[in-house]
Amino acid sequence: MNTKSKRDANHENPLRIASKKDFMALVDSLIEDGSLEVHGVKSKGTKFVFGLLESSDELRLDYDVTVIPPKKYFLPQDESMMHFDTSQPFSVQANEDIPKRVIIGVHPYDIVAIKQMDTYYTDSFVDDLYVKRRKNTLLVGAHVARVSEKAFFGDMGTGMVDSGFDLMLTDLKDVIALEVGTTAGADLISSLKTRDATPEEVEKIRKAVEKAAAEARRGLKTPPDQWSHLLQGNYDNPVWKTQSEKCLSCGTCTSVCPTCFCYDVNDKMHLDMKTGSRIRTWDGCMLRSFTRVGSGEIFREKRIDRYRHRFYRKGEYLPARLNFVACVGCGRCSTQCIPDIADPVTLINMVTDSSQTLKPPVPHAASPVTVEGQVPDDTGPGLYIPCPATIKRAVQLSEWEKLFELELDDGSALDHEPGQFVEVSIMGYGEAPISVSSAPGTKSFELAVRKVGDVTSRLHALNPGDKVGIRGPFGTGFGVEELKGKNLLVIAGGIGIIPARSLINYVLDHRKDFGELTILYGCKKPCELLFGDEVQAWDKREDVAHLRSVDSCPEGECWEGEVGLITCLIPLATFDPKNTIAIVVGPPVMYKFVIRDLMGRGMPEENIIVSLERRMKCGVGKCGHCQINGVYVCKEGPVFRYSQIKNSPEAFT
Amino acid sequence: MKKQKPRVAFFDFASCEGCQLQIANLEEAVIDVTKLVDIVSFREVMKEHSDDYDIAVVEGSIMRPMDEERLKKIRENAKILVALGACACTGCVQRMVNQWPVEESITTVYNKDEALKDNPYFANFETKALDEVVPVDAYVPGCPIDRDEFCKVLVALLLGKKSPVPDYPVCVECKKKENVCLFELGKVCMGPVARAGCGAICPTHGAECEACRGYVTHPEEDAQTDVLTKYGISAEQIMQRKSMFTYRYIEEKAKQEVEE
Repeated sequence: MNTKSKRDANHENPLRIASKKDFMALVDSLIEDGSLEVHGVKSKGTKFVFGLLESSDELRLDYDVTVIPPKKYFLPQDESMMHFDTSQPFSVQANEDIPKRVIIGVHPYDIVAIKQMDTYYTDSFVDDLYVKRRKNTLLVGAHVARVSEKAFFGDMGTGMVDSGFDLMLTDLKDVIALEVGTTAGADLISSLKTRDATPEEVEKIRKAVEKAAAEARRGLKTPPDQWSHLLQGNYDNPVWKTQSEKCLSCGTCTSVCPTCFCYDVNDKMHLDMKTGSRIRTWDGCMLRSFTRVGSGEIFREKRIDRYRHRFYRKGEYLPARLNFVACVGCGRCSTQCIPDIADPVTLINMVTDSSQTLKPPVPHAASPVTVEGQVPDDTGPGLYIPCPATIKRAVQLSEWEKLFELELDDGSALDHEPGQFVEVSIMGYGEAPISVSSAPGTKSFELAVRKVGDVTSRLHALNPGDKVGIRGPFGTGFGVEELKGKNLLVIAGGIGIIPARSLINYVLDHRKDFGELTILYGCKKPCELLFGDEVQAWDKREDVAHLRSVDSCPEGECWEGEVGLITCLIPLATFDPKNTIAIVVGPPVMYKFVIRDLMGRGMPEENIIVSLERRMKCGVGKCGHCQINGVYVCKEGPVFRYSQIKNSPEAFT
Repeated sequence: MKKQKPRVAFFDFASCEGCQLQIANLEEAVIDVTKLVDIVSFREVMKEHSDDYDIAVVEGSIMRPMDEERLKKIRENAKILVALGACACTGCVQRMVNQWPVEESITTVYNKDEALKDNPYFANFETKALDEVVPVDAYVPGCPIDRDEFCKVLVALLLGKKSPVPDYPVCVECKKKENVCLFELGKVCMGPVARAGCGAICPTHGAECEACRGYVTHPEEDAQTDVLTKYGISAEQIMQRKSMFTYRYIEEKAKQEVEE
C-alpha cells in the first residue's frame, strides 16, 4: 500500500471516523508494541492525571481537567540535565535518556500552552533539552467533553486549536472522530480502519466544541488581548495588597499552571562522592526562595510583589515579549488555590472594576493567546553543557575575594565584551554567574570571585591546574563601541569594581579611542579595596582621574582617600555632566543615591549606564529567576541604560 | 597515604530513637555511607564506642540539666554537630509539655513521689531543641527523618555545601506528585507552612501533613489561619494542630511579642 498517497488523502480531508472499539484496540496495540511509551488521561480518585497507560480501559476521554498539566512531559518535575564524574579532570555527559512517547487526550487549551512553551523555550536560545523531549512526543489532542467548574477557556478563546497536535480526537460515543494534524499523526493511525466523516458528524463536532467553549465562560470582564493595557495602568491598584495578604506563598498556582515554565537547577552528588547529576526542578515565582542569591539576599521578598509578578508575567511581560497571554483558561490555579486568590477571572475582574485608568481601548485585531510555536530541527550543541576551562593562576585579593585566570581548554578566547558574565560550573556544587573582570584581547580571562555560596566557596579552594566548566559569555556588555570618543565616569561600589575593571582595562588598553576617564571607587573598609596595585597605578597616570572612598576606616588601618559613602566623591570629581557617560556598578542600595547625585549635577539620564545583579541561574532567559519586572537581566542586562530600566519598579528597590 | 575518613558518632536524648533506626535501615546505601565515613559509635547497631569523632549526629530533645551537660560535651568533642530528627530540631511532640508548668507535668505523670526529689533523672525542665543549648551545624528534620535526605545532608557536609534541606512548603512537592489537595477532599493539612523535603509523603498517602519538619523560614501563618477558619476549624483546633509538632514556633512567637 502506498502510504504517501494515503497521508495526502488524509490531509485533504483530515477528519476521519473510526469505531471506538477499533481506536481502543489501536491504543492497546501501541501499548503492546512498546516502541513508544503510551500516556493518557487516567482517573486518580475523583480527579484526573496524565500517566502511563497499562491498558486502553484506563483512558478517560471524558475528563474535565487534570491535576497538573502535560508540561511535565517537556519540563519534568525533576529532570537530569547532565551526568558528571568528578574523579575525572572534567567529565560531563548530556542526558540522552529521553523516551519516545505518545500522549493521548490533551485538551486544546493545554495544546495552546505547549505551543507557548515551544515559543518560550526556543526564543533566542534554543533549549535543546526541551526540544528533544518535544520532538520525541506525539500529541493526541481531545476536545473537551466535560467542562470543569472553574475553566474559562471560552473566555480565553482556547477551546479549539487548528495546529499543535498530531491528532485531535472527538469522542462521539460509539465512534471517534480523528483530525489529522501531521504526517506523524497520520502514521499513527495508518493501520486503523477509518472512513470520511459525514457532514452530520462534522456539524456535531462543531456544536460540541462550541458548547464546551460557551460553558467555559465565566464572565471575564477584560478580554485577554487587553490584559496588558489594563495591567499597565494598575501596578499600584490596592487589589494586589488585599489579595496577596491571603497568599500562603505555597507555589500551588505556579506548579499547576501550564504556562509557568520557571525552573531551578541543583547538583546532586551521589553517595560515592564522585558521580552525580545536574538536575532541573520546577520552581515558581510565588515562592519566597525564588529570587534568593548565594549571599542570601532575596530580590522579591515581599509577598505583594511576588503575587503581582505572577499576573504581570502572564498578562503583560510575556505578551510584550512573545506576543501571547500566558493564561489559557484551564482553571487549575482557580481550583487548587486554597485561599482562592489565584483565579485570573476574579483577579482581572477586580482590577477592571477598580481600574485606576480609563477604560481600555478597542481590542487588537489578533488574539494574542495563540501563537505558532516552531520547534527547530537543529538544536545545536547543548545549551547547558559547560566547556572545560583550566585555572592558570589564582591570587587572593582580600579576605573574601580571589582572582582566577582561566583558559578555555579548546584553546579559543572567551571573546567577551566588557560587562558580560559567564556561568561557572563546578560539578557537584552547581553553577554561578560571575562577571568577567578582564578586558578582552587575550587568550585567557580573569574572574574575581567573592566567596558567598557553594560554587564560589569551592572555587576558592581550587588551584592552578584544576578545571571548572564555563558557559557564556552572556548578557549585554557596556557597549565599548558606542563609548568610543566619549568622556567616561566609572563609579564602582564594593565588588562592582570587578565588572567595571573589564571596561577600565579596555579603555586603558585603547586609551586614545576614548575621552576623559574618571574613576570613582568606594568600598566599606580599606581592607576591602581590590586590585590595590592597579588602583595605585591609576593615581600615577595623567590620563586617568581617580578618587576613592571608604564608608569608614577602623582604627589601625590606614587610608589614603575620602571617608564617607561613595556619593561623597561625586561633588569632588571634575567632569562635564552633559558630555560624559557615567557607568555605575555596585550593590543594589547604591544606585538610587548615585543616580540622584549625578542628575543633581546636571547629567541627563540617557548618559547613565548601570549594571545590575540578580539571580542569573541559567544565563539564557529561561529559568525566570533574574527578572526585573518583565526584563531578563541575564539577557537584556546586566548592563542597562538607566533610561531603559528606570520605570521598572523592581529595578532599584 | 590514604585520606582518613571522617569519624561519625551517634547520640540520643529524649526521643523514640526511630530516626537512628532509619539510618540503621538504610539498606544498600549503608555500604556507601560506611565507605564515606567511619562510624565509631552507634548504640543501636554496635557495641563499640569512642569519644574520638569528627561528626556527632544527635537525636532527641533536651529535657534535663544532665542532658544539657552531656550535649555540651558532645559539642566540644565534635567538629560538626548534626541535629537528627524533629526532637533534636524543634523538640517534636514532647514539646507540647511546655504548655504547662514543669512542676505540674511532673506531678501529673509521676504523682508526688518523694523518691523522685533530688533524683537527677527526673529533674525535668522545659523541653528544648539542640540549638537552644549549643550551636548546630546541620539539621535533618522530620518525624522520622527521610533516609535519602540524611544521605544528602551527609554528602553536603562532606563537600562543604550549604544545607540541601528545602525552604519552601510541602505543597510544592505535593503538587509535583500530582496529588489531589487534601483541602479539596475536606481534610486539613499543614502543608502550606510546613517545610518540604519529605516528598509530601503523608499527603501522598492521604494523611494530613502535621508539619513534623517544622515551618519554612517565613510561614504565612495569618493566611493559614484564615484558610483553616474558612474550612471550619475552630481557633482551639488550630492551636491543637500547631501545638503537635510545632509548639516551638508558638513559644518563639510569644517570646517575640513580649520583647516587642
